[in-house]
Amino acid sequence: MATLLEADNITFSYDKKGPKVMDGMSMKIEEGKKTAIMGCNGAGKSTLFSLLNALRKPDSGKVLFRDKPLTYRHKDIIKMRSEVSILFQNPNDMMFKPYVEQDVAFGPENMKLPKEEIEERVQESLFAVGMEEYRKTPIMKLSYGQRKRVTLAGVLAMRPSVIIMDEPTAGLDPQMAYEVMEIAEQMHSSGVTVIMASHDTDLTYSWADELRVLYGGKCMYAGEPEPFYSDFESVQKAGLLLPTVFMMNRTLADLGKGSLEPYPRAQSQMALKTAQHKDVDLGVLHVIKAERDTDIKAIIDDYQLGGMPTGVYGMSARMALRATSTDVDFLYNGPENCTMKCLNGQDSVLICDPLMFDKAVTSAMFINEHGFGKINIDVV
Amino acid sequence: MSEIFRLEDVTFTHPGTTRKVLNKMNLTIEGGSRDAVLGMNGAGKTTLFYTLTGVYKPQEGTVYNHGEPVDYTRAGLQNLRSDVAVILQNPDEQIFCSLVEEDVAFGPLNLGLDRDEVERRVSKALRDVRMTPYARRPLQQLSGGQRKRVAIAGALAMNPKIMIMDEPTAGLDPQASMEVMELAEKLHLQGVTVLISTHDIDIIYKWADTSSILYNGKIEYSGPAEGFYSDPETVYRCGLLTPSIFNMNRDICAIDGMDVDPYPRNCCEFTAKFGNPKESGRLVCVAAEEETAAERYEEVMKDLKGVQTGVYGSDVRYALTDNGIDFRFDAMDMCFTDAVRGKDSVLFYDSIYTPTIKEQADKLRKIGFDVDLEVI
Repeated sequence: MATLLEADNITFSYDKKGPKVMDGMSMKIEEGKKTAIMGCNGAGKSTLFSLLNALRKPDSGKVLFRDKPLTYRHKDIIKMRSEVSILFQNPNDMMFKPYVEQDVAFGPENMKLPKEEIEERVQESLFAVGMEEYRKTPIMKLSYGQRKRVTLAGVLAMRPSVIIMDEPTAGLDPQMAYEVMEIAEQMHSSGVTVIMASHDTDLTYSWADELRVLYGGKCMYAGEPEPFYSDFESVQKAGLLLPTVFMMNRTLADLGKGSLEPYPRAQSQMALKTAQHKDVDLGVLHVIKAERDTDIKAIIDDYQLGGMPTGVYGMSARMALRATSTDVDFLYNGPENCTMKCLNGQDSVLICDPLMFDKAVTSAMFINEHGFGKINIDVV
Repeated sequence: MSEIFRLEDVTFTHPGTTRKVLNKMNLTIEGGSRDAVLGMNGAGKTTLFYTLTGVYKPQEGTVYNHGEPVDYTRAGLQNLRSDVAVILQNPDEQIFCSLVEEDVAFGPLNLGLDRDEVERRVSKALRDVRMTPYARRPLQQLSGGQRKRVAIAGALAMNPKIMIMDEPTAGLDPQASMEVMELAEKLHLQGVTVLISTHDIDIIYKWADTSSILYNGKIEYSGPAEGFYSDPETVYRCGLLTPSIFNMNRDICAIDGMDVDPYPRNCCEFTAKFGNPKESGRLVCVAAEEETAAERYEEVMKDLKGVQTGVYGSDVRYALTDNGIDFRFDAMDMCFTDAVRGKDSVLFYDSIYTPTIKEQADKLRKIGFDVDLEVI
């Protein structure tokens, strides 16, 4: 895979007498991967992001985007930022306009896009974050979580090729946290490289392909999560802890209940790996691949899927759902909720964006492939 | 147990708006319990806290503190607030001074304490949140998580009888989150009533005895967490999630025909329940004070060379920083989990936590696992 963003031996401090926040930071971000960045408070995550996005300039060392060092010329920076977007931790740091629609349009306008294109992007982005009805609302009137969604819409409207999310779920309730994660997954499915800093060890473990751990102004680990978490001394030194399922899986393996690998990363995977009876009847997971114009109601009737617990996942599925008057039980965290129903022996229906299919069945496939149980996946 | 707070049909609407953020809310907070307040954004958690501290005066209904209606005169409120400390979600809302130590001293100085006492409390509180090296640093130079720790230190320095923590772990790194939960447990053991509101369902499930669920300005449920989580439709309607360990326990028990009760709440309980553990590892528990910890370490480890060690509590953690401790955070669960997998370990802990250790061993016994526990 190609390297998209790179920090090459960067040093940086906020004032000359102060400590070096970056002290020989080198890191590569690969295109198309989901990369989690972790580290203790003050390890320099936010500083690193501002350097990668050219909001700050390193004291020494280089930042490279698509293998080219940043020039810090105004024109180049504008172009680069249209491709590399940051979602800051605090939405109030990135709201520029008084009304929702103006704020979302701000980025695309700066990119000098035609009016119709801007309108289309604003509409689509606000839909994606579930804030359409608030188009004309003053930002002042929005809650913290709503503001977070508006800033996310602003980022989506830029259609970036890289999105850097700094603590995207902090301060959000579980429901909203899942909505944000779904949007991140949606972007990844459409080819965006997603970088996420988070202190939520369990969340990043279930999500990330790649892990980068910051410590003392350097990148102390780069690679897949498991080798890092297997080295407890480094985990502790970095100010981190083991993900819950990782620790449980390791302990059970030590007790002779199953092998260490395959590593379960989600609760349903862990549960089925642990359960003794591998031959018990699990439910069927009916997946309706829904494009924007799919008539969901007709499919549910034709295939007699009415009355089952139903979830929705992904943008086109949500759009298709809006066009019909179908009731849905799980408006967020659809895949895991539907899979859990199957674990309890119930059939369930997941209305799913075709782009997101692989992600939606990750847990069911993990369980099936390793013989931890059998969830029939019925693609409609 | 005594009643600390009671809300009776409390209704509160923000001036200039029509929505009843609290809508005939009834809730009792008992002294000495570990309380969690959960609910989606906008459910009224923060408003509830401001109502308890007398910042908001309800339009209808009554708030009782120790059985007496809250007195909203200046003197009455001052009296109430000298007992109650609040840690706000956003630390910047409660930072008043430019230097770290000044900020932590702000509350105690307002209480009219003498200089020496203030200094003693400030240094203890900063140490408890591991911010001692930053005492003379300007707050603007700190990261978000570090400012949060300063805000927590400020609340600790008040020595409150009631501690309200609104999202105390949001923005903190995992180890710092564990320390905050350790502090909450310490306060609980000191007899402080601790009320925590959080979105981190997994962390709070391990700790709380009582969970109160807010929905639409009312209390939807109040009691042991399992009673709420066993009703998935309600959980979902309230915008919440069930803890992952609760789900796993339910699913595994359903498949393997086991009883869901006792409910495991952490790693050692989960692995004890489902791992068919054989012989317990030896768990040596050493209660210590800050002054005695180093000495006890030498004494105990003489005979236990090479055995894994853990620390629980800020006093021993501070005293044993240079001792090459294996588990510096989340050590209680780590050491008990090691016992489950047959490995020996030594846990040094602030002596105040003795009941917590016993409680953990009792819980494991209920699951059917006897820890080879030796308290010395």
